[in-house]
Amino acid sequence: MLEQPLLSIRNFTLEYKTRKGYVSAVNDVSFDLLPGQAMGLVGESGCGKTTIAMALLRLSPDNAVVRQGQICLDGQDLLTMSEQQMRDVRWARISMVFQAAMNALDPVYRVGDQIIEALNRHKNDLSLEQKRQWVAELFKLVGIDTKMIARYPHEFSGGMRQRAVIAMALACSPSLIIADEPTTALDVIVQDQILRELTRIQKSLNMSMIYISHDIAVIAEVAEIIGVMYAGCLVEKAATRTIFQSPRHRYTKALLSAFPSIAGPRTELVSLPGDPPDLLMPPAGCRFHPRCAHAIDRCCKEKPPFEQVGDAHWAACWNPC
Amino acid sequence: MNTATIPLVRVEGLKMYFPVSASIMRQAKNFIHAVDDVSFDIPAGSSLALVGESGCGKTTTGKLLTHLFSPTAGHIYLRDGETLVDLVTLKRKDLRRFRRRVQMIFQDPYESLNPRLTIFDTVAEPLMVQNVGSLQEREERVAALLEKVGLTPASSFLFRYPHELSGGQRQRVAIARALVIEPSFIVADEPTSMLDVSIRTGVMKLMMELAQDMGISYLYITHDLAVARYTSQEIAVMYMGKVVEHGETESILSNPLHPYTQALISAVPIPDPAIHRTPPTIKGGISQPIDPLPRCRFYDRCPRQSTACEKEHTTVQVDGRKVMCWLYN
Repeated sequence: MLEQPLLSIRNFTLEYKTRKGYVSAVNDVSFDLLPGQAMGLVGESGCGKTTIAMALLRLSPDNAVVRQGQICLDGQDLLTMSEQQMRDVRWARISMVFQAAMNALDPVYRVGDQIIEALNRHKNDLSLEQKRQWVAELFKLVGIDTKMIARYPHEFSGGMRQRAVIAMALACSPSLIIADEPTTALDVIVQDQILRELTRIQKSLNMSMIYISHDIAVIAEVAEIIGVMYAGCLVEKAATRTIFQSPRHRYTKALLSAFPSIAGPRTELVSLPGDPPDLLMPPAGCRFHPRCAHAIDRCCKEKPPFEQVGDAHWAACWNPC
Repeated sequence: MNTATIPLVRVEGLKMYFPVSASIMRQAKNFIHAVDDVSFDIPAGSSLALVGESGCGKTTTGKLLTHLFSPTAGHIYLRDGETLVDLVTLKRKDLRRFRRRVQMIFQDPYESLNPRLTIFDTVAEPLMVQNVGSLQEREERVAALLEKVGLTPASSFLFRYPHELSGGQRQRVAIARALVIEPSFIVADEPTSMLDVSIRTGVMKLMMELAQDMGISYLYITHDLAVARYTSQEIAVMYMGKVVEHGETESILSNPLHPYTQALISAVPIPDPAIHRTPPTIKGGISQPIDPLPRCRFYDRCPRQSTACEKEHTTVQVDGRKVMCWLYN
């Protein structure tokens, strides 16, 4: 049964204009996301994952130039919408939990009022009393004592602030939540609580989620499908188990081998030589080829297409595992 | 003392209390017990991972060991031949000799290198401060060390500036700088947490290889148990200024004894969807240890608390491991 995707990105290419030239931040990325599906977007610094997230909300910086592509939400291309139309999309249809979002709370307003601010914009048909009740429901949903609604951000701990920001992201019942490294600044025990909370909420409200992180352990626990990014390109996409058990792209395999785990036998870690490429002048052909131990002649000349290599499994590699 | 069992580093009853809101007009009334009666040994050529969440005291302990400031109480012994010398009681002129033997690697590769010094100047600086070798000898030593930490060819790195290098490369420079004076002991405070995963592994492996080649001991401070597993033979878990458990790495990971260690380990995500972990059941977050009550620090959150826990607690030995918990008394 073919379900209509909630989100459909096609051939998305974005560059940043800088004094030294154009930085090729995202290059020809395409993927679909179904309703209620949780997708992990994993990659290291500079891979483009946050750029895509910001582009989804049309919050890219001024020097960002979209070269080509479409980002369709329920069939409507977000890239061609007016700013007025986008304002109706943000918070109400797509919302975002940013990295260290706890620092995004306004320190001079009570936390409850900051959520009401979003409701005033998108759910103004509700009465103030109804909005207040909804805020109380949201707090209960994310696990914060409702007496904290009238308190200020500095009275919340780091973990509680992150929960408050998640509550804010949920306030207008969006169909898609983007979480960009939401637990990086938190201690591991609090991280565990937040991750489970987020997954539980996502499932019970049947929202789609894009979970962005460099940490594949967190992604393994949170995401049903995983997209692996490298130097602006989507190099592999498959169900979580498939990525871990039978990765096809050489970078995916290398990333998995470099990741230490506290479970299982103490296996030998394999390090990747070199550094990610300079995106002002990315390598010709496959962007990973300079660091790939299995690069063949073709890898240096032609960029491999992102094509199907298995059941619901795509990769862009001339010499896959 | 049996020569074979003299540790390279011995920390005994280390305490660091910071006053809360003291000023010229007011005496401090409250204290943060950042490090509260911490003791451990580190044998020569071995690495001890000091693990814990934010505010547990691990970074303060690391800074005390490199004598960046003096402890409120306690002893820090460094092996000198057949005896242990207490660094805390040394006079300034004697301390200089010992500073050569203990070096530090910091977390942030973008802040720990002076942006105005070339790589050569940065790595050679300890040699200059301690007055080691002629200029020629220093150049040779620095070049050899850069090659050793994987910055090859050394000649292309010597006269560059930090901003021209990547995070991983800068951290390798920090390692070279820590090694150039040939220390016996290095305190590494989260040296890889700001690096990308694929780079992190390379730097971790480098540190372990060098430890083996050069017989250096480490205190490896980290919040990441997976990193602790790969770098250290022993783990000491800290909570609110106390070491709650200390033992062999694999043994602690497979069979943690202290309820806090159990919670910590069960909270770590596993990079394998086939493995299901049972999440921890403890609630709440960490609070600051300001004038804590004389009872177990973990009391409020422990799922196995009893009246015994309300007493001042001591460390017990269980099968070669040290645990600070009444459950094992």
